[in-house]
Amino acid sequence: MLSRPPNPQSTDEELMDAYIDGSDQAFRLLFERYAPILLRLTRRHLRSDELAEEIVQQTFFRLHGARNDFRRGSKLRPWVMTIAMNLVREHWRRKKRRKMTSLEVETQAAPEAELMPLEIRERAKLLHAALEKLPNSQREVVELHWFQERPYAEVATIVGTSEGAVRVRAHRAYATLKQLLVSEIRGDE
Amino acid sequence: MTRGSDGAGTDDGLGKRLRELDPASEANDRELIDRMFRNVKGQCADSDRRITGFVRSRSTIVRRLIVLVVFAVLAVIGWYNFPLVDESVRTGQWVATLAAFCILLIVAMLMVTRPVHRPELPRWQAVCLVCVAVGATVLAAFWPTAGAQAITHEHTSRMVAGACMGFGLLLGVPVYALLRLVDRGNAFGSLIAASAAGLAGNFVLKAHCEIETTGHVLLGHASVAVLFVMGLGLVHRWIPSK
Repeated sequence: MLSRPPNPQSTDEELMDAYIDGSDQAFRLLFERYAPILLRLTRRHLRSDELAEEIVQQTFFRLHGARNDFRRGSKLRPWVMTIAMNLVREHWRRKKRRKMTSLEVETQAAPEAELMPLEIRERAKLLHAALEKLPNSQREVVELHWFQERPYAEVATIVGTSEGAVRVRAHRAYATLKQLLVSEIRGDE
Repeated sequence: MTRGSDGAGTDDGLGKRLRELDPASEANDRELIDRMFRNVKGQCADSDRRITGFVRSRSTIVRRLIVLVVFAVLAVIGWYNFPLVDESVRTGQWVATLAAFCILLIVAMLMVTRPVHRPELPRWQAVCLVCVAVGATVLAAFWPTAGAQAITHEHTSRMVAGACMGFGLLLGVPVYALLRLVDRGNAFGSLIAASAAGLAGNFVLKAHCEIETTGHVLLGHASVAVLFVMGLGLVHRWIPSK
């Protein structure tokens, strides 16, 4: 039980405990803490600001519905990440089922693309093209391990597989990305 | 943000370089976050006012207990209020069939009530359960109990097959509704609930219907599971969900 009111210094788990006890302020703080992280994660996956925002909102909506499952003492971050990744996977599956054309994916603008200098935009394009060539299972490992900087063990919990399998996927993704982004990864001008 | 402790030293700085190349790093637009939070709060408040929101926000253990209690109550009511099949038909084979339906029903319930903070089940597992559920009801038609064969003629059995099908579908509806009520939005939740509804219908029909000819069981019993799965499968395929 949280002994003091939720504040920006509280840990995620303290905030979650307070939220379960009915604190709206704690929910607000959790949202402010996790929404930007989830937006980055989902934007890279979905290449669409609108969809990313929808998935982030759905993640918190599901977190709200599942709050009574949160066990005091467990970590919140894998929880939130798993909900978000499940929603991303569900989105891809539904999209595949509806047989949407690849043209639509190509015409989706990269987030904030028009605000970036040309060189960064070009590199970003290459990065996204390379990431799209990876299978979903490898892409989510790249996303969580290298972009979100989560340890392999946590990535394994989020994607629902063993740590060994995650390492294998990361290694394969690394080899592919290295091949596709030789100069960009080295930082050659 | 916590730095990943393992594997970071073996990637030749790939992670750092990828993050540098990524344009989506900044997502701290205050106005956007505020707007999104308002939307989420609105959705949550709306959900909390509904019975579905209330039930779905119960813990997983409570949701599972609700389903089990409702199943048990329905089973007890049915068991004592409607005549069971003749004692000569209640063989080990009959019990085994009922037990198989029961186990599959419980597996379906566990899948539907799976917590959303756990990685979703692979698609093949859901497909496998649906196939096994429908397959079990079909298989039961080709595995009649010895005593039952003599009870009725093929002609009579086909005539009452429609009644059995209607009864089975009617019994499946509350099971489907209950499982949808406790489902927080799992992938394939609807399809799994449909197969559970088909199994529940078949369970009751197996317990109470004395006609065991293959034609009758196929038309009147197994068709319940097939109709539920195919009907709801098509609904979900052609009516786009949110």
